[in-house]
Amino acid sequence: MAEAGIALIKIAVVLGFVLNLAALLTWAERKQSAVIQDRIGANRASVFGLRLFGLFHIAADALKMLTKEDHVPQTAEKFIHGAAPFISFFFALMGFAVIPFGDVLRVGGREIPLRILDLNIGILFIFAAIALEIYGSVLAGWSSGSHYATLGGMRGSVQMFSYEIAWGVSLLGIFMVYDSLDLNRVVLRQGDLLWGVLPKWGIVTQPLGFLLFLAAGMAITKRVPFDLPEGESEIIGYFVEYSGMKFGLFFLTDFVLTILISALLATLFFGGYQLPYLEPDGFRFPWGATWSLDHYTVVFLQFVALVLKIVFFCWLLLAVRWTYPRFRYDQLMDLGWKVLFPLAVANVILTGLVLTLIE
Amino acid sequence: MAYYNVSRPSEKLTWRERIYLPELFKGLRITTRHFVVNLALHAVRLLGIKTRRRGAVTFQYPEERRPLSPRLRTRHRLTKREDGMPRCVACMMCETVCPADCIYIVAGELPDPNVEKYPVRFDIDLGVCVFCGFCVEACPEDAIRMDTGILEIASDSREEMIYSIDRLLSG
Amino acid sequence: MAEKVHCTIDGRTVEPRRGQTILQVADELGIYIPRYCYHPGLSIAGNCRICLVSVEKAPKPQIACYTQVQEGMTVWTHNEAAQKARRGVLEFLLVNHPLDCPVCDQAGECWLQDYYMQFGLYTSRLREDKIKKAKAKVLGPAVILDAERCILCTRCVRFCNEIAGTHELEVFQMGAHEELGTYPGVELKNPYSGCVVDICPVGALTDRDFRFKARVWYLSEQKSVCPGCATGCNIRVHFNQKRTHHALGKRVMRLKPRYNPHVNDWWMCDEGRYGYRWIDEGRLLVPQKRRDGTYVDLDWDQALSDVASGLRAVMDKHGPSSVAVLPSPQQTNEALYLVRRLFAEHLGVRHVDFWIPPATQGYHDDFLIKADKNPNSAGARLLGLFPRDGSPAAEEFLLNHGPLKALYVFRHDLLGRYGEEALRPLLGNLELLVYQGTNRNATSRRADYVLPSAAYMEEHGTFVNFKGRVQRLFQCLEPLAQSLPDWKILVRLAVLLGLELGHSGQEEIFLDMAREIPALDGLDYAALGDQGVESDFSGIPLWPKTVNRQRSNVSREQPAHLPRVTNDE
Repeated sequence: MAEAGIALIKIAVVLGFVLNLAALLTWAERKQSAVIQDRIGANRASVFGLRLFGLFHIAADALKMLTKEDHVPQTAEKFIHGAAPFISFFFALMGFAVIPFGDVLRVGGREIPLRILDLNIGILFIFAAIALEIYGSVLAGWSSGSHYATLGGMRGSVQMFSYEIAWGVSLLGIFMVYDSLDLNRVVLRQGDLLWGVLPKWGIVTQPLGFLLFLAAGMAITKRVPFDLPEGESEIIGYFVEYSGMKFGLFFLTDFVLTILISALLATLFFGGYQLPYLEPDGFRFPWGATWSLDHYTVVFLQFVALVLKIVFFCWLLLAVRWTYPRFRYDQLMDLGWKVLFPLAVANVILTGLVLTLIE
Repeated sequence: MAYYNVSRPSEKLTWRERIYLPELFKGLRITTRHFVVNLALHAVRLLGIKTRRRGAVTFQYPEERRPLSPRLRTRHRLTKREDGMPRCVACMMCETVCPADCIYIVAGELPDPNVEKYPVRFDIDLGVCVFCGFCVEACPEDAIRMDTGILEIASDSREEMIYSIDRLLSG
Repeated sequence: MAEKVHCTIDGRTVEPRRGQTILQVADELGIYIPRYCYHPGLSIAGNCRICLVSVEKAPKPQIACYTQVQEGMTVWTHNEAAQKARRGVLEFLLVNHPLDCPVCDQAGECWLQDYYMQFGLYTSRLREDKIKKAKAKVLGPAVILDAERCILCTRCVRFCNEIAGTHELEVFQMGAHEELGTYPGVELKNPYSGCVVDICPVGALTDRDFRFKARVWYLSEQKSVCPGCATGCNIRVHFNQKRTHHALGKRVMRLKPRYNPHVNDWWMCDEGRYGYRWIDEGRLLVPQKRRDGTYVDLDWDQALSDVASGLRAVMDKHGPSSVAVLPSPQQTNEALYLVRRLFAEHLGVRHVDFWIPPATQGYHDDFLIKADKNPNSAGARLLGLFPRDGSPAAEEFLLNHGPLKALYVFRHDLLGRYGEEALRPLLGNLELLVYQGTNRNATSRRADYVLPSAAYMEEHGTFVNFKGRVQRLFQCLEPLAQSLPDWKILVRLAVLLGLELGHSGQEEIFLDMAREIPALDGLDYAALGDQGVESDFSGIPLWPKTVNRQRSNVSREQPAHLPRVTNDE
C-alpha cells in the first residue's frame, strides 16, 4: 500500500515538474526568440495591469485552446483523429518514467529510489516510448483526410527512420563505457573521477557520441531545423486539421519531448543528478578540502543540479530553433544515413578499440 | 541605369564549411550573443539605468507610433469643392484603373447643365483594396486622395469594410 | 456595268467604276481614310475635311469623300502632306472642343479621341478661351445635345432630312458660333431619332436612355435580331457583365443597329431600341405552382412532371380535343418546331394557334416599323401553327367557350388582352392552365403552373421576318435565374409525355426543321451567318396577309447617287 502511495507521489511530482516546465517553455520560446531577434515578445496579457513579462500568456493560451471550437474535418477518421494527440502526448510523457532524479532518499528507514520505474533496460524503454510517439503524428496526418496533413505524417515517419538508427547507435558507446543500460547506474558511474580530477561524464568519454545524440535528438523533437513534419511555411503539417486543445496537445508534446531529450542529454552525457565532487556525504574536492552535508541536502542539491542541466539544454534546443533554417527533405535523409549513422558506427568501433587498449 | 558589381561568395564551399560543425557554432554564437546582450540591456534598463542602446528595436504599437511618411498611402478620402459638393465627377477613371475592382461608382445627373454628372454612389471596398494608389493617380479632378493617415481600418464584417461616399467625404 | 477608270491609290493600281469617290475605293481596298461627316447611308456633305488626301498634280489636298476617281489619278492617302493636312484639321476641330473626355459619355467610342491618338498627338498651341455653347440641351425624348462638343459634321441634320424625312435639325449661327439646334418650336421627335446618336462621331449627341449608365469600355457586344416587330432589324446588344452595380444589376445597357443592307441598313427605330427593359425587369425567375391562391416555388423536375401528369390526366379523361396550345410568334422557330412536334404531332392537340389579334393596330410606316409587333409570325406561319382543317382560330375557341379543359399558353397575355370578364367562362371550365413565358403578366398570375423561359437574348435561335428572311439570334447572356430556353423545357416535357426528341442544342433542332420544311431546305446556322438568308416562301401564305398600307408622314428620301458600301458604320 505504502509502495503504491509513494509511486503515485513520485508520478505526481514528475508530471507536475514536466508539465509546468513545458508550459513555461511555451512562454520561453516566445520570449527567447524575441530577445534573440531584438524584439520584446509577448507582453500584452495582463491581470489587473500586471504584466509579469508576458507570463500570463501561458494561462491566456491555455484558456483560448480550451474554449476554441474543436473542429473535426468531415473527411477525417473520427476516432483516430481524436485519439492521435493523446497517443503522442502519452508516449512522450512515458519516457520520464525511467529518468533518475536522484539516487535514493532515505526516510524513516525506508529507501526510496528517486525514479518512477527502476528498470535495468531503462534506455530501451525510452526508445520504445519515442518510437511509439511518432505514431501519434503519423496517425494524425493520415486520419485528418487532408493532403497536407498526410504529407506531414509521412514526413514524420520517414524522418524517424532516418535518425532513429543513428540515435540508437550513438548511445552504444555510452553503454560500452558505463557497462549498463540502467540509467541510474550510468549516472552513478558518471560520478567517478578520471585521473582524480575530471568528472567521468559522458561528454568527456563520448564527445562524438554527444554531438550525434544531440543532432538526432533535435530531430526527435520535430523542431527546427528538423521540423519537416510540421513545415509551417509549406504544409503546416500533420496537425493542420486540429484545433483547440487537441492542437494544444501536439504543441505541448513538442515541448515535452524537448524536456525529455534535455533530460536524456543531462543524464547520459552530463552526469545526470551528479554534481562534481559531491559524494553522498558531502563535497570532497580533489585538492583535499571537504564539506560534509547531510543526506537531505545532498539529495536536494543533486535534484537542483539535474533541473538546472535540463533547463540549460532546453535553452540550447530553443536557441538552435531560432538559429538555423529548416533542412530540406533530402538533406535530412543525407544527414541521417550518410553522416550520423556512419559516424555513430565509427564511434562504436573507436570506443571499443580504446576500451580494449585500456584493459 | 546605374548598376553595381555584386561579388558573390564562391559557390564552392571551403573545407571548413563542408564539415559544417564550425559554421553551426558560428551561427549559434551570433544568436547567443544577441540573447545575452539584449537580456543584459533589458535587465539594466529594468533597474532604471539609462543605456544608449535598447534591448529591442520595436515600437510598442498602440502606444508608440512610428512617424508616417507623407507619401504613405493610407485610407482614401474624397475631397470637396468650396460649396461642399464632392469634387468627384463620376468619370470612373479610378474604377477603370483599379486592379482590384474595389471601387463602385454609379453616376447621376444634376439639373445644372454645367455639371455633367456626379457620383450617386461611390463605394470603396477596403477589404478588397490593395492600396496601390492608382485611383489617386488616375483622378483628373484631385477628388480622391490617400492621405488620411488612417491605417486602422479593421472591422467585424465584410459589409463594414465597404466605405460609402459619406464616410469617404467626411475624411 | 459602269465604265471603269484606272487609278493608283497608295501605289496600288485599281480599276474602280467611274463615279466612285476616292474614299469608297480606299474602303474597298482596306485602306482606312478618317472621316467624320461622311456616312455611307447619307448624302455627301464634305464639310469636316478630315479625309484630306494628296492627289498628284492637284494643287492642294483633296477631300477623299467627295472627289471622284478620274482616269490616271494617283492618290496618296497617308503621305506627309495628307497627314499634315489632317493634323491641321484636327487642330481646328479641337479649337473649341472641351477637353472633358473623362466625363463625356462618348469617351471610348469617340472618333475625335481615336483620330487624335492616331493622327494628332500634339500639344495645344491655343491661348484663347474656348467659346461657350449650350450644355446638356434636351433636343427630344431620346437625345440630348452638348453643343460645345459638336464638330458640325451635320450627319444628324442629313439623317433627319434624308432618312427620317422630318427636318427637325439645323445648324444655326455663323463661324465659330455655329451651333446645332432644332427649329423653333420643334423637338427631335421622330420614330428613328435614336439613330442620330449612333451616327454622331463625337459626344455631342448622347442617348438620354444610356447616358451615364455605364462607361462604354465595360460593355460586351453580341449580335442579335430586334424582336420589336416583324421587320427583324439586325442589332448589336450591348450588355454589362463586368461592373454589375452600374444600373442596379441590369444586364442589358443598350441596343445598337447592325448593318444589314437587306433589312435595316444602318438604322433602327426608337421603339425597338428602347424596348429591351423587359429583359431585366419583371421576369419570371423560378418554376411555380399555384396553391391556395399563392404561388410556391418548385424545382424544374417537379414542375415538369406535375405539368406532364396534369396534361395526361386531362387527355385521358376528356380526349385531345379538350386541350389547347397557344404558341407565340415571340418564340424562336426552334421552340415553335418543338411545340409542333410535341403538341400537334405527338399528342394530337388540334387547338393550336399562334395568332392572338392585338387590341389595337400597332404603329407602322413604310420604312422599318411594321404593324405586326411580333418578330416571328412568319416563322409560326411557316411551321403551320395555325388552325387548319376547319378548326376555329384561337380567338374563337377561347372566347366561345369551347369544351377546353387544359390550356398551355406560351408568352401570350390572354387576360391582359381580353380581360377577366370575357375569359371567365373559359377559366371556370379549365382544369389546367400552364403559362410558359419570360415575364410576369396577368395570365401568369392566374396560371396553375408558371414555367420561366429565357428571353431572346438568352438563347440561340432563328426568327423569320415579314419578307421571309431567316435570321440568326446569338446568345448574349445566360438565362436569368432558373429560367430555361423554351426548347430545353419542351425537350424535357416531351420525355415525360413519352416522346424522345433527343435534341441537345438549338442547331440540331434547326437542322431537323430544315429537313422537314421545304422553305428552309439546305440551311444551317453557318449558312445563315450574321445577316440571314432570304428563304423561298413561294406557296406559303405569309402572315398577316393584310398589312395596313396607310402612309405615314415618314418618307424615305434615299439620295439617288448614293452607292452602297458594305461597311458597318
